Amino acid sequence: MFDLHRLFFLFLILCAAGVILAAVLPRRQNQAVLAWIGSLSSLAILIVSGNVLLSGHVWQLKLWNLLSLGNMILKMDRLSALFVFITGLVFLPVSIFSGQYMNLKKYVKRYSLRSFGIFYHLLFASIILLLVAGDVLSFLLTWEAMSIFSYLLVNYEHEKEETTRSGYLMLSLSEAGTLAAVLAFFLLGRTAAGLDFPSLKTAAAGMSEASRWAIFLLSFFGFGVKAGLVPTNIWLPRAHPAAPSNVSAILSGVILNLGLYGIVRLNADILPVSDVGAGALVLIVGTVSALVGILYATIRNDLKEMLAYSSIENMGIITASLGAGFIFRVAGLPVLAGIAFIAAFYHMLNHSLYKALLFLGAGAVDYSAGERNMDRLGGLIRVMPWTSLFFLVGALSIAALPPFNGFVSEWLTLQTMLQSVALHSMGIKIIFALCAAALALTAALAVTCFVKAFAMTFLGVARSQKASEAVEVTRSMRTPLGILAVCCLLFGILPTYIIPVLDDTIATFTHEHMVDELVPPFFTVTKGNAKFGEAFIAEFHDLGAQVGRDFIPGRGLVVLHRGTERNPVVFAMSTSYTFVVLILLLAGSIILIRILTRVRTVTRGPAWAGGVRQLFPNMTYTATGFSNPVRVIFQAVFRPLIFDEMKETVAEHFLIAVKSQRKEVYILERTVFSPGAKLAQSLATLLGRIHSGSVNLYAAYILIALAIVLVIQRLM
Amino acid sequence: MLFHDQRCIHCYRCLRQLKSPLEWESQGNYKWAVSLGTNKGEEKFGKSFRRSLHLRVVDAGACGACLSEIEQINKPYYNMHRLGFFLTPTPRDADVLLVAGPVTDHMRLPLLKAYEAMPAPKGVLALGACAIFGGVFGTSFASLGGVSSLIPVDILVPGCPPPPLAILHALLALVGRAEAEICLPADAPQGVESHV
Repeated sequence: MFDLHRLFFLFLILCAAGVILAAVLPRRQNQAVLAWIGSLSSLAILIVSGNVLLSGHVWQLKLWNLLSLGNMILKMDRLSALFVFITGLVFLPVSIFSGQYMNLKKYVKRYSLRSFGIFYHLLFASIILLLVAGDVLSFLLTWEAMSIFSYLLVNYEHEKEETTRSGYLMLSLSEAGTLAAVLAFFLLGRTAAGLDFPSLKTAAAGMSEASRWAIFLLSFFGFGVKAGLVPTNIWLPRAHPAAPSNVSAILSGVILNLGLYGIVRLNADILPVSDVGAGALVLIVGTVSALVGILYATIRNDLKEMLAYSSIENMGIITASLGAGFIFRVAGLPVLAGIAFIAAFYHMLNHSLYKALLFLGAGAVDYSAGERNMDRLGGLIRVMPWTSLFFLVGALSIAALPPFNGFVSEWLTLQTMLQSVALHSMGIKIIFALCAAALALTAALAVTCFVKAFAMTFLGVARSQKASEAVEVTRSMRTPLGILAVCCLLFGILPTYIIPVLDDTIATFTHEHMVDELVPPFFTVTKGNAKFGEAFIAEFHDLGAQVGRDFIPGRGLVVLHRGTERNPVVFAMSTSYTFVVLILLLAGSIILIRILTRVRTVTRGPAWAGGVRQLFPNMTYTATGFSNPVRVIFQAVFRPLIFDEMKETVAEHFLIAVKSQRKEVYILERTVFSPGAKLAQSLATLLGRIHSGSVNLYAAYILIALAIVLVIQRLM
Repeated sequence: MLFHDQRCIHCYRCLRQLKSPLEWESQGNYKWAVSLGTNKGEEKFGKSFRRSLHLRVVDAGACGACLSEIEQINKPYYNMHRLGFFLTPTPRDADVLLVAGPVTDHMRLPLLKAYEAMPAPKGVLALGACAIFGGVFGTSFASLGGVSSLIPVDILVPGCPPPPLAILHALLALVGRAEAEICLPADAPQGVESHV
């Protein structure tokens, strides 16, 4: 069919063309280049990765031989292909969106679109190359490139001090993470024959327990920084509000996934986690991230900051199910481990889709209303019906409501957590139970959070002048939202087609297929087979599991986990049939209401506002008010230190203005981030002392360093 | 001697000053509820509201006496719930508006808005002398002098304040479960008349 190599190089050429064209063309054409080249290159990479995902054909490419560092290898297996596919799926709509979005008033004439275009295409290329890197060197090189280009894009509004600070925080944390990851690879590569992943894998088999733990901790910290896990999550909620919305969408939808890719590649593929403790650590960190993320998200009023915290929550959920997978794998339960990994990857795919959708939606709101604070938005559904519809789909998906995609993966995650009864150790069981409870609370708070996000932004009355003057965004900004919304729906109602693909993906490192465990072949098997007995199949046929067998391809539309003889169905559901039923119910109730109200007259009046003379926007419910119960209930968790600031203006003996401001500092900032920042600063001051500026001294440093290296070389 | 039961505020000036005191109780012309029109409420609400009626109370500038009497019907002694009457905080759910007070200028718009916010069929009860014709406040720049000058009233409940049983009686009359004295709009009180 296609020559995948050629298509891959077409992608690289397109990115290069994007860079060159962005550098030479004037602003007006630059927007079109951004949209067209970006979407074409995403299409190319979608075809390549989709092909690998479906056919399972691994393609590999040896580049150059770098003497002592080994070959540079590009290799796309199914695991890489899944991440590449998600990347393409996010970049396609984001590219279409970007062209128009970069016209934002605050960007035009102040910041150069040229540099944005250059870095955008470079970032895209570096992410894809990172995902297909087959050896440590190219992995680390592209990882650094990705970190720096994403920093440059976040730092787009470089004239604002707030932005440069956030960008710098992001870069420094990311570098700390990279350092840890390099150390992990260094430990791994010490005994390996080469620096490509397969030889690392062979070397890893005979590792001692201590070095396994060291590598696990280093890599989990290093990649965890990128994934925004607690306690290194601080950069996310700062970088997102600072970055342009399209960059935020990429940051959340793609770059966070890269942290997970690192964790999975290293701790599941190259050096599988062999200790229950390590798995439990991943599980706990994931759960805490999820809970902290959603608690902070619920009380934030900046639309993008809220979404950033919600990204931390989702990354936490994914990490928790990865941790569950690690534990099940170590405990010798490959089936449950497989289901946990499938849940994790499914949730990652879903998160990328709906988070990109929500960030682009927030971008559209920002573009149109020039405001991101939910307290000052409101009533946009009347002027931006399409944007609000798509944002609603995103909010429903992220709140895990059927039939949208978030439901499927979150349901699978919680179901997997409940299967911890199969484990033997009581301690781990207790941890699982607590984590499952915390994740359930997270899911409930997510609903609160996104009810607030949608209601305060789009419903009610406009609470500011800017919001009341908003208009619907152009079609080129609505279309990408629509694409993502349709994807959210499709990935929600067709889980039985996604799960086999994900199953093939996880088989690259678990080496076992569990598609039978989740998607029974109700369509293909009518009389029963060895695994699914006649009675079992017949019973489900009676329940309607075979409805649509004649005209729908695939194995079936029911997700079902088969248990033992005593307990034949552990869990089962079908969003596909649910969707059909929902449509029928909706249509039925509309018809019923029409029939019942046929003879009645409907009068429409203004909303009842307590009989006030005039309803002023600042009398209406605000985002702060909506989230206040959560703030109060979880005061024991937030532990706020409150600083009240009162500013009085006195002119000619009269007090003419009182300005009161309240600042709350929560426990996470107080105990983790501020000391961390202080430590880093004092370290930097200490290191700064060796920089005297004298050339002779630097020459001496180089000599000393060389001598130390030679001594170490000699001793080893 | 002129005596108008709907306007009586129980001041007993008639007893102190008049040579021939009014024996208004024995004359039997004090009514618990006066309907403005033949069976208007019963017609309006029909059978389905007989045992379930939701009330919204509006204080249109009352002194507090009428409100304290309304409070009584919500309590176990009078217990309006046994009769199927319930209070609701929003006029959107209400079937009947209970208005007390002469409708001050400030309460004119809120009262109108509350009335407009109610779904049809809707009834209005004017409670007490103030709500009926302005009471001791009369008509002035600050007082509209009665609810009926703003919104159509179904039943008047005379008294200053009307006793709780009278309010219950008026409510029962509204849904057709009790009899109310009928006073056609032509007989309805107009303005303030002197007692002397």
